[in-house]
Amino acid sequence: MKEQEQGIVQLRGREPGSVESAGTQSGPARVKRLGMLVDQHRCIGCHSCTIACKSENNVPPGYWRSWIKGIQKGTFPDVGNFYLRRLCNQCDVAPCVQVCPVQATVRREEDGVVVMYYGKCIGCGMCIGACPYDARFFNPFRHTADKCDFCVARIDQGLEPACVQACVSGALIFGDLDDPASEIARQLARTASTVIKPELGTRPKVFYIQAEHSLKGRIKYSDEFRQGILEYHNHIPSSDASYWKRGR
Amino acid sequence: MEATVLYNVPHEIPWQVYIPLYFYFTGLSAGSFILSTLSTVFGIKRFKPMALPAAIISFLLLLLAPVCLILDLYQPSRFWHTLVPEYFNRMSALSFGSWLLTIYPIANLIYIYYIFVHNDRVTRVLGMITVPLAIFVHAYTGFAFALVRARAWWHSALMPGFFLTSALLSGIALLVVVALLMDRFRQDKLDEELYTSLRLMMVGILVTDLFWNGSFWLTLFVSTADGYASVWYALHEKLYVYGEIGAGMLVPLAILILPWTKQNRTWLCVASLLIIGGVFLMRYSVVFIGYEIPLS
Repeated sequence: MKEQEQGIVQLRGREPGSVESAGTQSGPARVKRLGMLVDQHRCIGCHSCTIACKSENNVPPGYWRSWIKGIQKGTFPDVGNFYLRRLCNQCDVAPCVQVCPVQATVRREEDGVVVMYYGKCIGCGMCIGACPYDARFFNPFRHTADKCDFCVARIDQGLEPACVQACVSGALIFGDLDDPASEIARQLARTASTVIKPELGTRPKVFYIQAEHSLKGRIKYSDEFRQGILEYHNHIPSSDASYWKRGR
Repeated sequence: MEATVLYNVPHEIPWQVYIPLYFYFTGLSAGSFILSTLSTVFGIKRFKPMALPAAIISFLLLLLAPVCLILDLYQPSRFWHTLVPEYFNRMSALSFGSWLLTIYPIANLIYIYYIFVHNDRVTRVLGMITVPLAIFVHAYTGFAFALVRARAWWHSALMPGFFLTSALLSGIALLVVVALLMDRFRQDKLDEELYTSLRLMMVGILVTDLFWNGSFWLTLFVSTADGYASVWYALHEKLYVYGEIGAGMLVPLAILILPWTKQNRTWLCVASLLIIGGVFLMRYSVVFIGYEIPLS
């Protein structure tokens, strides 16, 4: 009963620092599986996480490590705006790790985060093609592949990723999936959640609550998706995004 | 339900035209090499005059292929990372490929030397060792695509076979052009039967390639949304329909089987050149149609 009450309290407002306390509880040697739970029911589409991510990780203009995908459904008065918070899904069976010819991107044993070793990366681009979530891109300044790594410098210091700290509505919950006492594990145990493209067997560690299905899918965002495919370049968000061309 | 995308982030295509060029060059090289071994390993005497030129072409193209790969890297100076044993990723087709791409040209060069000195016995043994290398050096590129589960246009068990047959096709077509040039500038003329067998091989492989394409379309049309979108997009891409399928496969096939063009050397040359171009377009469309299907 007490456990449940605690869960409700944490659902309403996250306790800052819950991640570190979970880590120290079970000793430093334990292998963690860090994951994120995105509660789309709470997301208001404010893009705070996108901005926090960009400023924390110095992501160049025109590129995003994490972003919000938004759609509008229906016609007035029955209309709804829906958002999907996108980031690297930190797959347990990561296609990018599988294809990298130089082990420049690996799944870290100690916490399951898929990280980039920028000094090793030769920039062949195979991982960018292999990612089913389009979470990877070439960083034009670093000249290597780049992606969300749960702010690996921050989590190594025991902090939460920048997006989690920036979220205004408590929609992002970060923690150890293998620790039954962590907030994310308890929420996941109680709530129906999904992952993106589970059929690919990548076993992502980013979970979603109440995510709109047409956002999670790839191209079928409307019944007119055939036309949508042929006109996909029209959906590019910014006007100067001329990089959506063959080559670079 | 009508749904409009308010905003989303696509990422740019990381590859340039060098990548399809690379596949094209390794394919040409592997194809020419296999043709060269027809006489030295498999003992088909008719192809004897082609053994040395085919092997030399194969080696020269192999010098171009890694250049294309390295040019496409964002960190070209780090290309040697692929050959560091400690960095080797046994799950990655590219890791195996970079080793194959290092060993195969060396084996190829030794093989050329022994043809050159007319040591038939050693050539035969070396050819037997190098043929699997030639096949693998090209098949791995097919596997590099086939093992990408994210993209329906690539993720197919047919892909390595498709790459291999196209490689053989482009190799034969290139050698036909070379043979025609040799005939024009050399004293001793090539056997007419050589052309007939090369032409029949091209017809056979063109039909196989068309069969692969048909299999791709049929399976993708009843596949996932991604697969459907890929084939839908492909059939609206002019370069694919008119370039690869039309000019690269159907027109040469017609030239090679129609009775009033099939014996003519000029038409044979035209068909071979069309095939050489068409196989490049095949590499191009495999790479870029796969990339143009949005995943986010």
